[in-house]
Amino acid sequence: MSSEMLVHITVNGQARALAVKPNATLLSVLRDHLDLTGTKKGCGMGDCGACTVVMDGEPVMSCLTLAAAADGKQVTTVEGLAAGGDLHPLQKSFVKHGALQCGYCTSGALMSSKALIDRNPAPAPDEIREALSGNLCRCGTYGRMLRAVEGWREFDGVPFDVKPHEHGEQDQARDHAVVGRGVTRYDAPDKVTGRAKYTADLHLPGMIHAKLLGSRIAHGIIRRIDVSKARALPGVLAVITGADVPDVWYGVSPAREDEQILARERVRYVGDEVAAVAAVDEDTAERALQLIEVDYEELPAVFDAEAAVAPGAPVIHPEHPRYAGNINTRVDWHFGDVARGFAEADHVRARSFVGNRTYQAPMEPHAALARWEPHGDRLTLWASTQVPHYLHRSLSRTLGIPMGNIRVIRPSVGGGFGAKAEATPLDFCAAMLSRMTGRPVLMEYTREEMFRHFRGRHKQHIDLKVGVKRDGTITAVEQRVVLDGGAYTSFGVITAYYAGSMLPTLYKMPNYRYEGLRVYTNLPASGAFRGHGVPQPRFAFESLLDMIAEDLGIDPIEIRLRNAMEPGTRTCNALDISSCEFRETLTRARDASGWREKKGKLPRGKGIGVGCGGFVSGAGYPIYRSDFPHSNAVIRVHEDGTGVSLHIAAAEIGQGSDTVMVQIAAEELGVPYEQVWLVECDTVLASLDLGAYSSRLTLMGGNAVRMAAQRVKAQLCDVVSRELGCDADALEARGGRIFMKDHPTLGMEWAVAARMAFSRTGPVVGTGSYRPPENLGGDFKGGAVGTSPAYSFSTAIAEVTVDLETGYVTVDRFTDFSDAGTVINPVTFHGQVEGSIVMGLGEALLEDTVVGAGGHLSNPNLHDYLIPTIRETPEIRTVAVESYEPHGPFGAKEIGEGSLLPVMGAIANAVYDACGVRVTELPITPEKILQGLRTAAEAIEAPASEPMPAILQSPGAAVR
Amino acid sequence: MAVMDFAYHRPANLAEACALGERLGADAAFLAGGTELLPDYQRQRETARHLIALDGLEELRGIGVEDGSLVIGGLATIAQVAASPLVSACFPALAEAARSIGSPQIRSRATIGGNFCRAVPCADTPPAAVAAGALVRLVGPGGKRAMDAERFFTGPRRTALHPGEVLAAIVIPRQPAGSGGSYQRFARRQGSALAVAAVAARITMNGGRIVDARLALGAVAPVPMLATRAAAALVGEPPSAHLFALAGALCADEALPITDLRGTADFRRELVSVLANRALAQATERAGGAP
Repeated sequence: MSSEMLVHITVNGQARALAVKPNATLLSVLRDHLDLTGTKKGCGMGDCGACTVVMDGEPVMSCLTLAAAADGKQVTTVEGLAAGGDLHPLQKSFVKHGALQCGYCTSGALMSSKALIDRNPAPAPDEIREALSGNLCRCGTYGRMLRAVEGWREFDGVPFDVKPHEHGEQDQARDHAVVGRGVTRYDAPDKVTGRAKYTADLHLPGMIHAKLLGSRIAHGIIRRIDVSKARALPGVLAVITGADVPDVWYGVSPAREDEQILARERVRYVGDEVAAVAAVDEDTAERALQLIEVDYEELPAVFDAEAAVAPGAPVIHPEHPRYAGNINTRVDWHFGDVARGFAEADHVRARSFVGNRTYQAPMEPHAALARWEPHGDRLTLWASTQVPHYLHRSLSRTLGIPMGNIRVIRPSVGGGFGAKAEATPLDFCAAMLSRMTGRPVLMEYTREEMFRHFRGRHKQHIDLKVGVKRDGTITAVEQRVVLDGGAYTSFGVITAYYAGSMLPTLYKMPNYRYEGLRVYTNLPASGAFRGHGVPQPRFAFESLLDMIAEDLGIDPIEIRLRNAMEPGTRTCNALDISSCEFRETLTRARDASGWREKKGKLPRGKGIGVGCGGFVSGAGYPIYRSDFPHSNAVIRVHEDGTGVSLHIAAAEIGQGSDTVMVQIAAEELGVPYEQVWLVECDTVLASLDLGAYSSRLTLMGGNAVRMAAQRVKAQLCDVVSRELGCDADALEARGGRIFMKDHPTLGMEWAVAARMAFSRTGPVVGTGSYRPPENLGGDFKGGAVGTSPAYSFSTAIAEVTVDLETGYVTVDRFTDFSDAGTVINPVTFHGQVEGSIVMGLGEALLEDTVVGAGGHLSNPNLHDYLIPTIRETPEIRTVAVESYEPHGPFGAKEIGEGSLLPVMGAIANAVYDACGVRVTELPITPEKILQGLRTAAEAIEAPASEPMPAILQSPGAAVR
Repeated sequence: MAVMDFAYHRPANLAEACALGERLGADAAFLAGGTELLPDYQRQRETARHLIALDGLEELRGIGVEDGSLVIGGLATIAQVAASPLVSACFPALAEAARSIGSPQIRSRATIGGNFCRAVPCADTPPAAVAAGALVRLVGPGGKRAMDAERFFTGPRRTALHPGEVLAAIVIPRQPAGSGGSYQRFARRQGSALAVAAVAARITMNGGRIVDARLALGAVAPVPMLATRAAAALVGEPPSAHLFALAGALCADEALPITDLRGTADFRRELVSVLANRALAQATERAGGAP
């Protein structure tokens, strides 16, 4: 069946004769036979478009095209776009417009665009949207792609450089040379040419492949596993089960280490990993998995939080008494006196909300490549991770070898959003199998396995009660959240705290009570997803605040202004708000969106709504107790002074942190952006950085880089001051020169100073580190969660159209004003905000993982789990307000997560404004809207004497 | 994820393909664009151990006109159907249905023959073709036959094809004078999403009255189904909003929707009513009658 056949394909102009298996896809031939790894695999089912190539002039999904079907055809891949060393104008346009973030979808989007412009060099926006409608981008960079394709011809024959695009964005006036400038992304050239290597693009000599076997039942005891048939299959090199891996419990949260590398006794959800197979290729490994016989004693399972805490419910983690009753985490906070607060209120409103189990769905599937060195018991692991350090530490603890024996390398990462913020069984099993086989082992999740491994949003049941004075001033807030955590803790302890801790950062609330309950169920584990626990309570709060405003006859923006947080405030839960331009975001968003002309004045079916949000600029404490600085950087000046190397193990996952780090280094050193080399993220080459989570890198990594640069600069200024006979303090470095501030003509070339310094003392190196201010947070249990050196604030205004007959919601326009402190790079800043709006739109209107019979996911793929496409992307305007954060490098704070938080509330409020239906359970589906509209019609038609409790009974929808 | 295990055959002509198909029987599947078939392997919905690739069969390609009828080869891609001036001239709603399928990358590989033969209930081109009164031409080991498109579909993912039989072409007869068509669908997302419900309509007008009506429902029954009671209610009447609302309600009544991930049966019925209304209005307008 697998006899090979000969196919002739002309790839990027070169005729190739290839012997392929009949089941080989064009994608696998390009990647595995021809090493053209610019073409990506995102789903393998034709749903995501990452594998798009142009075949005989037409865009095709190479994952759904058999190599045999490409016989005799002309195929162009992303590697074939650039000619003679010069980028194609389309590639330049993508770079200059910032039309890429993680880069994983970029090759496919470029190829769809190429097929379009070859047919139609001047496509209209709608034609571009249609052409790109099959290319999913989870970073939400659609608007930029649209402009990049529209403007591609501007770049025909134009030399390529890193300078900001001439129509480049500029929000704040700052006297900086590099910071605040929209220089092109550091990683852009590699990402538009397909040169950027993601973990699964790597190929090592002798490399083999491994796959995981997941449980087919939701809850049970493993009676027996028979792997003999799998071991006997030709091509299989190793098979491991729970008995073959270290008997340790691990977990990213040290408070609850409840996971095992492979299940030893018990499986707790459909997909729980029970065995792994390494084989010469993926197909063989997959076949071997089918030969493993697992005999389970099936146990009753629970699939929702209510059932999990019911008396007599099956216990999911009997190994530890603290998990009795399936209670994973319980939070009980009381700040101020809510009873008094509610007594003082003139109006109290309570409502229940549900936020759903959405998945991050990064475009790049998780992958790990392990190489065990037989000499010295050393491991090198390349992994698609947001947290090289936590991965490093987890490997050391579970494998029982010192961190010094382990090297973690983070190649390019195709998005994470929290899904890649902890070690996975791929990482551990790849390492184990490499040790057993003596071969490098590559493991990847399929799209379906990603959904099963999950670590997405918790399902949250939220009961919220707010009391206000007649003028809208908040007197008390009470929130109870039940979080369905799935089978393991993941980040869940912290999620349960975050769900409560962040509400008081936006509005002044003197009295606040929060009860959180995180419950185990037999579902994939929920974890940390962009906004970490906060987006759903924020959606609830923003919705309820609008209801209260309506009750009191106050404009929704006005009620927010009356309660808005102010700088220099300590919140009721002991969080210190430093800079805060929240009011500014509210008033400017109101004015820019035409709110006064629109709110309440649009025709039925059209609506406008406001939502607000904000987030930490890095967590105040690490996940595990440690005294290490959170971010660390080393800068080394090259001996002739014309180059600088920046060593930092920060995790670029698409958000643009590499670019920001290089800009900060260049600014502080006083050299041009393009003179800084960023050293690959590798634990051998750089010291600890906690990673890309809690929106921490710009502030924390940036401060470490800035300190390292200051220390380098001090050494050079010392040299120059001796030469000029002046005080080092009198010098300034900028634009490749070091000169006297008061006499700019008196100075020296930066490179000359660097050479002199090197000649005098050898390598010129500066180190920098950052640790947050000490003693952040209150002295109560969980008081650390929500602490941060700085907080972001934003206001978003959504405008929607609701089809009153079908319930379909179209988001027409979004206006966002954010306080992110100093913007280091306007292009990556706006890219993050735009991406948040697109992602939030998905969570508001489309997304939910659906659990079917027996705990099997019903939609673990991008065909049934719909994320927004370019066709859903509204017109977006984003603006950074003038703001300066003293704790941040050059005044900067976060943007990546805070910008997601206003989106769901804004859409829900706009939908209500459009049609009078208040949907309190996400996502806001057409069906729920129709239900609400019908209830409204019935309510109106009902006799006046009839009571109207039916409105409240209608799940997820109610009417005004 | 299942490993795709199959032997690959690429017959040089249709007769050879049919003979091979007959010989291998249920253990074989015909491969056209592969955009439905290959994912079906991975979903373990398709397990045939032999794939018979049809892409060498030139006689199944192309879109042309024969004796006034539009003949669309089974291997015509969805992109070709969507872009064809002949299709748009004959029955634009079919081109619109084609345009609504998947993404550009899918449409450039997927074929109309595949869209029919995989017989997924939410497929877009079948209802449009059925509304246009299409026939399918089948070629098999036993020779050629033709049948009304609506009879071709026998159940979800089931068709009237015999072993070894290939859908050679879809024939859209010359459309009646004074007729107009429409294809209306509802999906959860604008870009690349399956229909939750769809209605294709053809209205023929004469002297200010509807003299013939065909309404085909998609994604709300095991097969693309003709709403005959709704059609009967339209005939002989002058078009009006009230009439269309009535027909819409009848369509909703006739539909046999299921509840699945994309929507509940009740929601689908509501959609059918709305979509039928919209389809009738557009079809009437295209037919030259004022709705």
